[in-house]
Amino acid sequence: MSAIIESQTQPGWLGNLWEKHRGWVIATAVLGVSLVVWKIHGGETIFPESWVESFPFADKVNEFDRWMRPYVQPTTRLIASGVVWLYDAMSEFLIFTQWQIVVVILILPAFAYGGLRLGLLAILTVYTWLMLDYWVEAMETLSLMGISISIAVVIGISMGIACSQSNRVETIIRPILDTMQTLPAFVYLIPAFYLFGIGPPGAIMATVIYALPPVVRLTNLGIRQVPEGIDEAATSFGATRFQSLIKVKIPIAMPSINLGVNQTVMMALALVVLATFIGSPGLGDIVYKGLVRLNVGKALEGGLAIVLMAIILDRVTYAMGHLEKTSGSQHDHVFRLFPQALENIKPVLYIEYGIDWLWRQIASLGNFTTLMVTMVVCKLIAALNSNFADKLREFMLARSFLIASLVLIAFMMLLDSYSNLYGKFPLEWEYSFRTPVNQFMDELVSNDVFYSITQGIKKTLWYGLINPLNVFLKGLPWWYTTLVISAGAYLFNGRGFAIATLIGMVFIGATDYWVFGMITLSTVIVSVLICFIFGVPLGILSAYSKTVDTLFKPVLDTMQTMPAFVYLVPVIMMFQGGQVAAVIATVIYAVPPIIRCTTLGIRELPTELNEVSESFGASMFQTLIKIKIPMAIPSIMLGVNQCIMMALAMEVVTPLIGGKGLGLMVFDGLNRASIGISLAAGLGIVMLAIILDRLSQAWTKTQREALGLN
Amino acid sequence: MSFNIKAGLASVVLALSIGSVPSVYAAKSLSAAEPDWTGGVVTCRVLQYIMENEMGYKVKRVTMPAGTGVYEAISNGDLDFACESWPSYTPARLTFLTKFGGNGSVAYLGETGIIGGSGYFVPRYMVEGDAARGIKASAPNLKSYKDLNQYNDLFISMESGSKGNLIGCPVSAWECEDQKRLDLLGVDFNAQALGSEVAHWAEIQAKYKRGEPFLAYAWAPHWIHAALDLVEVELPVYNADKWPATNWDKDITYNYGSTTLENEHPKIAQLIKNQNLGNNQQAAMIYEIDVKKRDTEEVVDEWMKANKDIWMKWLP
Repeated sequence: MSAIIESQTQPGWLGNLWEKHRGWVIATAVLGVSLVVWKIHGGETIFPESWVESFPFADKVNEFDRWMRPYVQPTTRLIASGVVWLYDAMSEFLIFTQWQIVVVILILPAFAYGGLRLGLLAILTVYTWLMLDYWVEAMETLSLMGISISIAVVIGISMGIACSQSNRVETIIRPILDTMQTLPAFVYLIPAFYLFGIGPPGAIMATVIYALPPVVRLTNLGIRQVPEGIDEAATSFGATRFQSLIKVKIPIAMPSINLGVNQTVMMALALVVLATFIGSPGLGDIVYKGLVRLNVGKALEGGLAIVLMAIILDRVTYAMGHLEKTSGSQHDHVFRLFPQALENIKPVLYIEYGIDWLWRQIASLGNFTTLMVTMVVCKLIAALNSNFADKLREFMLARSFLIASLVLIAFMMLLDSYSNLYGKFPLEWEYSFRTPVNQFMDELVSNDVFYSITQGIKKTLWYGLINPLNVFLKGLPWWYTTLVISAGAYLFNGRGFAIATLIGMVFIGATDYWVFGMITLSTVIVSVLICFIFGVPLGILSAYSKTVDTLFKPVLDTMQTMPAFVYLVPVIMMFQGGQVAAVIATVIYAVPPIIRCTTLGIRELPTELNEVSESFGASMFQTLIKIKIPMAIPSIMLGVNQCIMMALAMEVVTPLIGGKGLGLMVFDGLNRASIGISLAAGLGIVMLAIILDRLSQAWTKTQREALGLN
Repeated sequence: MSFNIKAGLASVVLALSIGSVPSVYAAKSLSAAEPDWTGGVVTCRVLQYIMENEMGYKVKRVTMPAGTGVYEAISNGDLDFACESWPSYTPARLTFLTKFGGNGSVAYLGETGIIGGSGYFVPRYMVEGDAARGIKASAPNLKSYKDLNQYNDLFISMESGSKGNLIGCPVSAWECEDQKRLDLLGVDFNAQALGSEVAHWAEIQAKYKRGEPFLAYAWAPHWIHAALDLVEVELPVYNADKWPATNWDKDITYNYGSTTLENEHPKIAQLIKNQNLGNNQQAAMIYEIDVKKRDTEEVVDEWMKANKDIWMKWLP
């Protein structure tokens, strides 16, 4: 640290260096001092045994858990049994109903909200499930999703409304939501497993809690953003506060609420798959089994089924929020299948005319059916209450798609119960690509050239990065590491956060997981570094080239929706188990945000920049290096921040392929049914996550300020 | 407008589902733990095949690593039964099973017929060499754990640093206590856990194929002993008081389940107790699944159809 003080007092180039590159100077100084401390200290650091002994966290938690269970479990188990009842009802309905009927039920909403294109995508998705013979698993996942989303949306919207109506409620709930979003997803799984039981109930309850924040936030935001004037107008017409809320504010806030629902859906899907760790059924289980059997093909098939489900759920819930743009039956020339840009190509136009004609026929058939049903129903009701019948008629006629769909489904069900028309999904339509994938993988792995390449990568990573960092971090005295990180926290975030950091680091040590914590830290650092090295150039490339960008988009989308453990299978086959494999899997999982944010950061820079710098005679490369990259740094750092969080989330998955660190202890506790061990290690990861998150966010902020943004 | 269709569909789905699922169905549904090693999966599938095809039950399989968690889940009533517990891998038996001095919140459901053995192995070419493959014996005097330190350098792996490496028990929930055993026996080695059974065998096979030295944990009945020529490294004879500084005991494996199973589904409980699958039968199926990469269901179904005389006797 003395170097820093010196450089501050001395004017000239040193002072200049300090002014311009303060961060780097500090970082270099800290690294230098650390190396010296490490060299002097020698050997692995040992956290004082007496501290560990006087802090039997895991034992106390286990004791408390055992003591508390008889009081809490009756309630949680009652909730769980309700949830199980719902889950059983839905999943058994979906599984035991004729598949043709379920297919119709599933694809109709896509047609209703997203038109022909989304409808076709839905058909493709559903067909993939059937084709791969994962129908039952897909229905299980869908049931888990359906129930957890319904519960989350109901609770979330109510909480959001409560927040929007009272500032006090908002100040209480906001920090809770902040914490919920910082916690790694799986932390929810452990208590859910103990309180609600293994399988569906635990999975559903954990998912509800995990997926809640976006819908609460966006409901609150949406209602609060309704202009004051509208509210005043409503009240001046004599509406009560409640009436104004229900009839005026919530309808105006609907787009925002819908966006919240959409985000909740995506978060729910991620956790439903991860919940395989607590015995949840469905597609995640397929991937998990593929992993433990080293069956790449099977894992990939399961992954594909999940990705398609994610895409369709995302699009449908998104379309629900943007209804007016997509339901275009009033318009004359709406292109339903091909992009509008192909208007001038004759065959495309004819096909579109044909589709349009068919679409209208179906629509008029639907309208006719609705009219008939409405007439019959309303005639019957009119005999009892004519006023209500009129309202009902209006209601039903406005929803012809829904009524026609219900009639179609009811008709199919009737047909099913009185005839044997439907059969099983024809075997010859089934197709599975797991065998060729497996064969390819086997050949690849046993190929000598390929083997030497992977071994080379493995050795380079291990001896070049992972092992030195492991040894370094494990060798630094624990008090030194704690102090340095806390000092960083003080520098960037102030005293409060420094104290929290101090407590967090000592907690990791006192639970006797210091070494595991350092391994976790080194895994994360190495992974993020590699992500950075590969991600930034790829991001720049895709910012400059449209072709690369269009190629990357679907790949990145898939990578982000693919459940984390699909990556583990090929990685373990190529690199065998161990920390190297863990790092590689983490890199694959965590690289997309860096690529995305880099692309975004560079592309969003004003175009005048190009012109200005070119007019000064700078080449494209110079513009990039000297102007664009520095300007895009805040955005890149945002990607790094996300990357860090994802790398930490991956910690708990990688023990499956020999990853070490705190994740292994979480796993261990889960397997040994020791909530204490899981919680101690899980909290360790959470603390590291919060520390790294805040530090990197603060760093980004200083960068933004330096650039005069904000 | 936007939620109407969804809400409408959801209510229809719910209404229909309540009506359409026969109530008998729920009563004949069981849930079982799917073990995390192939042998256990086979033992469980055999029972489930009989329950589903001969007794009209539906069995839900829950994937969970074997260990205390499964016992907890059974005693909580989340699971109905589990198959093939290996006593020396399950300290939980001491807490839950009356037979082993526990509180009886989980019921002991008879032996499976599989008798297991575990230990540490090295490839035969290390001790005796393999003239056909041109491998010289690198550790000719390696017989027992006492000789391991002397050959430390042979077993060094990338991650174990200067210490020799043991490819240890892959799953922590099996409670093999590899590192503790090595430390107590004075073997200065590092125990590595690869996370899953298949990763474990993949690593061993890769080393064997390249003729490299290795020390690995393995158990029988298992196909690995047919596929590779392994020699066991002697460990002190099993002694409950000194555990884990000894070898594993011979494992007389058993099935276990919830205490209510015998009252509510007496025939199922009896079937589980009657199960008597031989080591050889199981090993043959494990080979088909792991080495030939065939589907577990397919292999078990095939065996069930071909060996009716064996399992028909178990039916209560």
